[in-house]
Amino acid sequence: METLIFEVGMALALITLTGLLSAKLRFSVIPFYILIGMAVGPHAPHFWIIDLRFIESSSFIEFMGRLGILFLLFYLGLEFSVARLLKSGKAIIVGGSFYVALNFISGLLLGWITDLPIKETLVVCGIMTSSSTAIVAKVLVDLKRTANPETEIIMGMIMFDDLFIAVHISILTGLILSGASSFWSVLLISLTALAFIVVFLFVGRKIIKYIDFALNIKSSELFLLMIMTLLFLVAGFSETLHVAEAIGALMIGLVLGESRHVKRIEQQVLPFRDFFGALFFFSFGLTIEPASLGGAVGMTLIAVLLTLVGNLGAGMLAGRISGISPKASLNVGFTLVSRGEFSIIMANIGKAGGLMASIQSFAVLYVLILAVLGPLLTKESKWIYQSYEQLRKRLRRSRG
Amino acid sequence: MDLRESELPGIGRKYSLRTRSGEQLVIVVHNDERRDIFHMDADEPDEMRSMVTLDDEEARVVSAILAGITYKPKFLENQEIALDSLVIEWIRLEPLSKCVGKRIGELDIRKTTGATILAVVEKDKTKHINPGAEYVFTPGVTLVVAGERIQLNQLKKLLLNGAL
Repeated sequence: METLIFEVGMALALITLTGLLSAKLRFSVIPFYILIGMAVGPHAPHFWIIDLRFIESSSFIEFMGRLGILFLLFYLGLEFSVARLLKSGKAIIVGGSFYVALNFISGLLLGWITDLPIKETLVVCGIMTSSSTAIVAKVLVDLKRTANPETEIIMGMIMFDDLFIAVHISILTGLILSGASSFWSVLLISLTALAFIVVFLFVGRKIIKYIDFALNIKSSELFLLMIMTLLFLVAGFSETLHVAEAIGALMIGLVLGESRHVKRIEQQVLPFRDFFGALFFFSFGLTIEPASLGGAVGMTLIAVLLTLVGNLGAGMLAGRISGISPKASLNVGFTLVSRGEFSIIMANIGKAGGLMASIQSFAVLYVLILAVLGPLLTKESKWIYQSYEQLRKRLRRSRG
Repeated sequence: MDLRESELPGIGRKYSLRTRSGEQLVIVVHNDERRDIFHMDADEPDEMRSMVTLDDEEARVVSAILAGITYKPKFLENQEIALDSLVIEWIRLEPLSKCVGKRIGELDIRKTTGATILAVVEKDKTKHINPGAEYVFTPGVTLVVAGERIQLNQLKKLLLNGAL
């Protein structure tokens, strides 16, 4: 126990260094965190107190990663607004449904090709359907594309996607984590979970006035304590009803998103989200044995191809409905390709439910490839579009 | 005026303005208080010509210059605490406003809306810092007001209708 703090310090040093490196390379940081986690871990070299296997601290790092999920989803909930989603227009609703459907069908297809059992297939569907809100928002800001007309469509579709994933996770946790075996008991658990979510959100809307009143605190310390209390109690309690704690965090975020103090909450929670979020990706990497990834390569490559095709289709459709240029529509598809936190949460649920280990390997490879490929494609979309245009002209000329 | 406002969840708010001179201006207010100002191509809405990123303080100064105000509020060192959810706005009184001719005390502004009038700038640039209850509203003056967003909305209603 005596080297616990030092080990955590070492982990943070590694994370910070990779973060700096990724900033230098002007690259999305998330895959880097996962990779550095994979690079160290049980098989890493060690001498004296420099032990990169993180033996003593592994359970603590894992716990911090768990907190990372809570903060990531809590913040997402704060930013989210169902009312806004409903107002956001036809392009987003249709494009978003199409996007979710295409990716989900891709997952079913992949499960069918590789002969997976039903539970595993549903987890794969979840992994493939969930865009990374964190990466997408960051890429758009970094590439200075926030002013583009397609940005509203992208963020709207992501919101739609998040909502779908939240529901999907809620149903899946009932199916996988409850240990129920008969169809009826699974149904009962899933329905209980859904009912809890609906009632919670409904009641939350009703009592937000009183929460607002209670949050009228000058002291920032007490304010923060109150927010944290709500977050941890709701997330923890959800788990007892087989609603994943991540979803609990999202729910309390949704409720507090309607609060008058939402800006202040966001300001207070943001540093926690950034800090523990980085540890979440790192700790995910720590659990991965690089040698075990070989078996999932074929499956991952098929999945990446399916995802690319599905995203381009959904992006084109959403772009066409909203009347933006084909070039901007291409941006929609490419930007949405990035995968990250949600896919990992999905994979972790699969792992907790004792599903096939290959699902975990698949998730790692899939997230790594698309967390790198997504931002790259987004960056080069202009060039890709121009090449495509030239190719089309040339083809026309050769025919003409 | 063709001004569109939209929400970018996870990023911030976006304002697009098609100016009367035919230019496309987009301002994005990030959640972390940064502001990006984009000058977009007028014919190709997804082509950026140039952009500037401002921090919170710069943005306030620029907005004051754009609004033609020479009055520059001196913020305290620690803005977050002083300006937790406080908004400072400049409101120009149109001749149509029902509050014209009334006194500040008569409308009982602070009690009914919670907002505060920090200063009044007349058309000829004379300034009344912290005007008293006896001050009478005249058309065309600019009020510098502070309060929470909700309070300011109430205040605008009060100024326009002369009563709530």
